[in-house]
Amino acid sequence: MSTAAGGPATGGLPPNTIIAIGVIGGLAGIYLTMLNQTFNTTIFSVMGGIGSIFAVVWGADAVRRVCSYGLGTGVPSIGMVALGMGVVAAIFGLIIPETGILPIPAILGPVISFIVAALVGLIIGLLSNKVLNMNIPIMEKSMIEIAGAGCLVMMGLSASIAGSFAFNDAILPSVVSTGYIAIVFIGGAMTILHPFNANLGPDETQFRTLYVAIEKAALTMVIAGFASLTAIDAVSAALTVLVGLAIFLVYFDKFMKSVHREAYKVVGTGLLPSAEELE
Amino acid sequence: MIDPITGLGLVALMGALATIAGAAEDLESDVGSQSNPNSQVQLAAQMDFPHRIFNKAISGEPPAYGLWCAAGATVASVLLAQNMSVIFAIAIGSFVGAILLGLYSVTAHMGRTTSQKRFKQPIYMDMVIGHLPPIMGHGYIAVFCIVSFSYIMDHMLGHPFPLPLLAFLWGITAGAIGSSTGDVHYGAEREFQNQPFGSGLNAAQSGNIVRKAESGLRNGMDNVWACAKFGGPVTGLALGFTVFFDNWRSTVFSGMNAVIAGLIIVLILILANRLVEVQARKAYGPYKDEEGGTEA
Repeated sequence: MSTAAGGPATGGLPPNTIIAIGVIGGLAGIYLTMLNQTFNTTIFSVMGGIGSIFAVVWGADAVRRVCSYGLGTGVPSIGMVALGMGVVAAIFGLIIPETGILPIPAILGPVISFIVAALVGLIIGLLSNKVLNMNIPIMEKSMIEIAGAGCLVMMGLSASIAGSFAFNDAILPSVVSTGYIAIVFIGGAMTILHPFNANLGPDETQFRTLYVAIEKAALTMVIAGFASLTAIDAVSAALTVLVGLAIFLVYFDKFMKSVHREAYKVVGTGLLPSAEELE
Repeated sequence: MIDPITGLGLVALMGALATIAGAAEDLESDVGSQSNPNSQVQLAAQMDFPHRIFNKAISGEPPAYGLWCAAGATVASVLLAQNMSVIFAIAIGSFVGAILLGLYSVTAHMGRTTSQKRFKQPIYMDMVIGHLPPIMGHGYIAVFCIVSFSYIMDHMLGHPFPLPLLAFLWGITAGAIGSSTGDVHYGAEREFQNQPFGSGLNAAQSGNIVRKAESGLRNGMDNVWACAKFGGPVTGLALGFTVFFDNWRSTVFSGMNAVIAGLIIVLILILANRLVEVQARKAYGPYKDEEGGTEA
């Protein structure tokens, strides 16, 4: 279905700015959870959740750019593949330094995950364009971005649940074995794929789409914070939940204001527009 | 390991829960026109047919139900780990899932309608407020039942997967079955009731969905009323059978025998499908033009 006409998405922040925000914000959030080990606390787990919000903004914007080539709601399906690979890449990258097969310091784990995700995204993009003949100009680039952003979201949320991105000591027991990896995966995927789908149409604007992205990422952060009750202490979990709720409320309000400002009209109730009105 | 009679009882209970879940899942998607019927609701305004039908374009049903069920099961398993009683834990978890569903519905409907500004489709706030309770209510029932039978599978039948992962997988299954089984009844029939039955959808009729009800303007509530007669229950049966047969074969048989039993069930279903298809072709035949001759 192609309700957004075929052509590059326009308006708002340029793609490169958003990519920078996503990569730097996402990785910074993940790495800031290391303050937990430095200060022997778990209070900094909240940073993982905040990092995931930055990555979601990037991912949602990448979906927006590729979808405006007329793929419409078809992209969530391909995006799911990219995000599935994102979670595999995340686990692969975090586990590689810990196996000791390659002499890589554990601190590089998230960066390796990110690079592997980007490579897998490239392969998926090439397959879509060259083998499935979708012929969308920015497909490869977008798939790299969606997989990369997805990988950062998964790592950010996992780190905020487990309190650390160390795989064997933290993420395996508190995220994978408990099954919370399910909400990390689908929560991260839906926050990236839903915003553009929810705003699809010729009068879509970048800011409204990104408000939805931030507000939904904050909701996922709230659930991740609640899940972290079983892994880290209650105060740190409560902090993640409260910060998530605050971000959600602020950006849900921004979304609503933007709807009231930009819609044709918002009415309490009423009949359908008359034939004269439609002309 | 539990004794076989108790096991079969649990499997029957799971089948019953899945039947309710499937029906509620399909009806929930019909209130808001999610999934396949949504494309025509979206198109209607753009073809100069403004309407009062909820446009709940969250995503496809499978990932959406994966999310509600995974969220519900995550909250439930955190509460279970804090020693809360099972029923309360699942009830609170499902409530969180239903709230998520409500919030996603609001952004989907309002976002999409706003993006149709140039087609002069207004946002009716009474519709948003009126449709959310049935959406969240049906969603709650579906999530509660799915998380419940996942819990039985996990804690009583000894499935190796943890609860959130099982609920996630069954949520995706429920969404997929709801999308493929129930939507036909809403999308092809209810939305195009003004077309002759079985005429197919002519491209010229795209977006020309039924917008007026028996009295007043048609909305999601009128649609779910129609779908509750057939589409919803059939979806329930489909999910119920899926859950029941899958668990029945692994409870009654073990090892390779369970695999063979599964293959036999699939074979029987393929044959049954074929019989229904042949019978339908015999009864209704190829499309006829007005003089009674056949068309390709």
